[in-house]
Amino acid sequence: MYSLHEIKTRGYLPPKRLRRLLFYGFLALGKVFITNMKDIKKLSSLSNTKRRYHRPPRRFEIPQYNKNMKYCTKDERYLRPTMYCNSHAPEIVALAHQLGAYQKSDQEFAEAAFEFAKRKLILEMLPLDGVENTLRRGTGTCLHELSVFVALCRAAGIKARYKLYSMNMIEAWSDTLADDPMVKKWSDAMGYFMIHGEAEAYVDGKWMVCDVGPTPERQAGSNIPITRFGEDSIGIWFSVIPGTIMEVESISFGLNAMMKLVFKVAPATVDNVNANILDQIKLGRKILAEKGEKEYDAEIRKNFKPKFPEPVLKKRHEIIFEK
Amino acid sequence: MTDLNSYIAKLDKAIEKYIPSKNTPLYESLYKPKDLFRIPLDDAKKMQLKTIKHSFIHHYNNNQFYHNFCKEHSFSPEDIKTNEDLDKIPLIPDKFFKDYPNGKEFATWLANIYTGDLPKIVIKQKKPTYDDVIDAFNRAGIIVTYSSGTGGRHTFVPRDQRTFLNSEYILAKSFVTMVYPFWEYDSYGYLLMPNPRKNFIYAGKAVEVYFDAVKDVDVAIDRRVTTELISMTMGGAGGIKSKFVRYFAYKKSKKMIDDIIAWLEKHENTDHKITFVGAPYILYAVMEKLKKQGRTFNFGERGGVGTGGGWKIHENKRIPVSDFRKEVQNVLGFKDKYILDIYGMVEGNGWMVHCPEGHYLHVPYSFYKPLVLDDEFKPADYGEWGRFAFLDGAAQSYPGFIVTGDRVRLLKRCPVCDRPGPVLEPEVKRAKGEDVRGCAEEVRKMLSSDLGS
Ligand SMILES: [Zn+2]
Repeated sequence: MYSLHEIKTRGYLPPKRLRRLLFYGFLALGKVFITNMKDIKKLSSLSNTKRRYHRPPRRFEIPQYNKNMKYCTKDERYLRPTMYCNSHAPEIVALAHQLGAYQKSDQEFAEAAFEFAKRKLILEMLPLDGVENTLRRGTGTCLHELSVFVALCRAAGIKARYKLYSMNMIEAWSDTLADDPMVKKWSDAMGYFMIHGEAEAYVDGKWMVCDVGPTPERQAGSNIPITRFGEDSIGIWFSVIPGTIMEVESISFGLNAMMKLVFKVAPATVDNVNANILDQIKLGRKILAEKGEKEYDAEIRKNFKPKFPEPVLKKRHEIIFEK
Repeated sequence: MTDLNSYIAKLDKAIEKYIPSKNTPLYESLYKPKDLFRIPLDDAKKMQLKTIKHSFIHHYNNNQFYHNFCKEHSFSPEDIKTNEDLDKIPLIPDKFFKDYPNGKEFATWLANIYTGDLPKIVIKQKKPTYDDVIDAFNRAGIIVTYSSGTGGRHTFVPRDQRTFLNSEYILAKSFVTMVYPFWEYDSYGYLLMPNPRKNFIYAGKAVEVYFDAVKDVDVAIDRRVTTELISMTMGGAGGIKSKFVRYFAYKKSKKMIDDIIAWLEKHENTDHKITFVGAPYILYAVMEKLKKQGRTFNFGERGGVGTGGGWKIHENKRIPVSDFRKEVQNVLGFKDKYILDIYGMVEGNGWMVHCPEGHYLHVPYSFYKPLVLDDEFKPADYGEWGRFAFLDGAAQSYPGFIVTGDRVRLLKRCPVCDRPGPVLEPEVKRAKGEDVRGCAEEVRKMLSSDLGS
């Protein structure tokens, strides 16, 4: 499927940090599965789920592609297609053009791509697949959404990459995601091994952070500010385990395996989580409709003091490392 | 009967080395008042302002990370003029103490939390484990205690000697005051915790003072319990090694219960005073076994219990504190007034203790300020449920201004007894979405094989 050369150069092998996170993630998941065999049997049948998840309609139309559309074909780091992120795919190229590729400035285009990925794509737990599929469905995990944003930027000739890390689950999210007993057990067992991410686009000589994962409705539904283009959500509404941030060109092997495993063993759990996400969106939409997005955001930011002091890792001369 | 002043004076003599240094606000607010829970409110308010402000200035001036945090909040020592201003001191979420890297960086992270100059700390290993780093700090005189939540993620807090002694002094004095006139040095104790001399689990470590306050103390868990061991038994790791660990823990727990019963028998027909201090579920397991054998004891006024944290008895069973007291009365024959629960946490040095009359958790208020925060992290009124936060004037080696994940209700004064200060409802819960934790919970999980069932 991938050539050895591609695997090596585009960084498909998980970096050491990610390997560690994956290792513990699998251990934790395995433990939950083994210690909850009975429940798992129940959850493996969708008929046992309380309510079924129905994928909401796609929020956008995919524009028509034509052969004359320009796209970036450079084989350069952060510009070329990578795993699940085919920036040459006709759907991506067409959409990039609709969003103003090669017409707008880099900054304007990246912002437009950010707004698209943030607002139009809906969170749904499912195994990873290519950006074409994500666009067809209109849904995906945060990693799917990141890939769409990254692909759009790359198609338009703007360097883009992933920023992956292990985050601290915020309460509002653990209520939605961990409301399901199985996910709760898993996230408890996982502790901090929750992989989440943002994207970064290289605009005017600077990497701009883009928190495309949560839609404004979901942020409103969890009482957090609506993160903007260039605004890092780290420190605004959650904290990251120091030393886990990885800035990478591509998603790597292993990440998908975990998702696939959960999907296979406990589809009812996944279904339940997805239904919860829709509830959260509904709640957030109501809040935004009542207050207005701008007003909501201004109000929440006023009340939203940075609750997390920055952990510091400044060298202290009193500590002597002998080796 | 001795009066309270001479009773506490006796305690001070036994635990002299723990008394705060003279000429500090803490000496005035913690050592001088003989009954910490009956200081007239007006006097206590002055002490509280002085002690906490003094502590804030110390951290503001000597801790880079906290200084920056205050700057972000545009808060500086000049902003503190009254006791109410104290509420605006920037609070650190307890989660902060869990966000650490591993290996060498862990040592650096700890050093950056620490307020003031560190002694020289030598890390010998190329890839130090958490336990290696803790040991290195300990060799340099800094005690890194911990407590953990789920996933084997620990909360680490660095304490210098002074801060640690403060914490121990507060614990001993608060408890001994509440059981007045029960305490005497010539008595026998059983520590239901890992041996503090070999361990760094916080609540366990802080009760080291028990060995000085009571002549003869036995220890239930006499081995070193490492962070690695806890991770293995708490689910942070799997594999054959941890299965072995759990199996041996199970074997050891059985013997532990039998040892405690033998100890009770030894003191049964004497005039000795006995106390249990530590994790409630160990004593619960002892009582379950006794009940199965149809046996009871009748220690009457000769028995006392101080429990701490962890009211989960089994994986899915939580026992109400009041039921536990009834059990102790029925099975061991202790008096209700001498069965008190203590609430504290690894990030703080203040201990809340039940009053014997109403079993409300009395908060020391002359050097420590309790707060309850609403969902937006703003101070809530008395009587409201919310998140527990505190300003701890006894923390010298790290800023003790902390928001916890515990859900509490703070009352202006005790509905039952006549002590004037604030109290918390008798039972503390974890806020929604927070880890279950507490040192006793940790020990319980470690020995989690179905004790006594
Ligand atoms: Zn009371």
